[in-house]
Amino acid sequence: MDQRLAEIEGLIARVALRDRAAFSALYDRTSAKLFGICLRILNDRAEAEDALQEVYLRIWHRADRYAANGLSPMTWLITVARNLCLDRLRARRAPMDDIDTVPEMADAGPTPEAAAVAAGDRVRIAACLDELPADRADAVRRAYLDGETYQDLAARFGVPLNTMRTWLRRSLLRLRDCLSR
Amino acid sequence: MTGDRDIPPPGEFPGDGSGEAPDTVLAAEYALGLMDAAEARAFAARLDAEPALRRLVAEWEEGFAPLADAVPPVAPPARLKSRIEAAIAPAPVLAPRRRSWGWLGGMLAAGAVAVAVLLVLPVRQVTVPPSFTAAIAATDGSLQLAAALSGDRLRVERLAGSAPEGRVLELWLIAEGATAPVSLGVLPEAGVADLTVPAALTAAFAGGVLAVSDEPPGGSPTGAPTGTVLATGAITSL
Repeated sequence: MDQRLAEIEGLIARVALRDRAAFSALYDRTSAKLFGICLRILNDRAEAEDALQEVYLRIWHRADRYAANGLSPMTWLITVARNLCLDRLRARRAPMDDIDTVPEMADAGPTPEAAAVAAGDRVRIAACLDELPADRADAVRRAYLDGETYQDLAARFGVPLNTMRTWLRRSLLRLRDCLSR
Repeated sequence: MTGDRDIPPPGEFPGDGSGEAPDTVLAAEYALGLMDAAEARAFAARLDAEPALRRLVAEWEEGFAPLADAVPPVAPPARLKSRIEAAIAPAPVLAPRRRSWGWLGGMLAAGAVAVAVLLVLPVRQVTVPPSFTAAIAATDGSLQLAAALSGDRLRVERLAGSAPEGRVLELWLIAEGATAPVSLGVLPEAGVADLTVPAALTAAFAGGVLAVSDEPPGGSPTGAPTGTVLATGAITSL
């Protein structure tokens, strides 16, 4: 883990102990990154600001769980931000749905070994996406960065939902094989 | 599920997109947010029970995270930070949840002061090697925790078991020769707790015993264990 990540990990550990100075430092180092992600997903500045507030409150309250979840520190922060913004996006898109029925994305709490697997993955995703047909790689990126669902992607690519699902599932298997090579 | 043998090669994948997908694909769909609400709910329920599945999701999250590098950082407005810091500002009174430690009497002259310190003291050192450890376990193994004291930080990891329904786990130090246990705090629901221990108490770790009891939410109302002592472990000096 490089020095910057080690520093962020140290800050998260101190935030878990309710260290406000560490929280402030963590915010200064990571908020632009997470705000960029919220803006990208939500495409609405005011809502992205609200979401970012929620993101940091969740980080404050859940930092004690970080040590157990096995993710690298930036992945954890990105995942918290992305999940919260996706929850908001889904709630906005389905105003007729009872909001309670939209499940909150759970932060995975995997075993510590995952962290070791993780480091090698970071550089590979771009290369592995390049091995997929361009439109499939595009679909994966749109799902991750824009929160597009199978439905959105099926409409975008002009194919039936199940066709989209099959395409993407095959692509995810190939991606997994590539990432674990 | 154990992995590879459950995954058909791409050519054999069910063609209509409605069939059962292998867990690694479901984990990727969940991590990407592709599932609809009902699917995501069903998958999240499985996550609670299946560590291997959580690990698959984490691996995908780690794999996908570099995609976020493509998103340009944008500095949020300065007022947002003030708003967030205000939201986590401490409540004006922290003490009521804690009980009096006065009964510790002779053992701890600084007992009363320790109450507040335990709750809020920020910790400066994160990498001090542990000086004491304890394996806290129920006799039947149904509850197991590992504790390690480094400086004034006590890290407690729950390895097996959990609090009974509607109860919380509270950690106690029984110092050598002491007549009553002293609370080190209520353990959070999360598997790992980082507690800050007052200096007067760290001095009492040598030769002591750690114990975990079940208590009503918020912890023992009396300052002494009121529920069942579920697990104990002798403290080892390193």
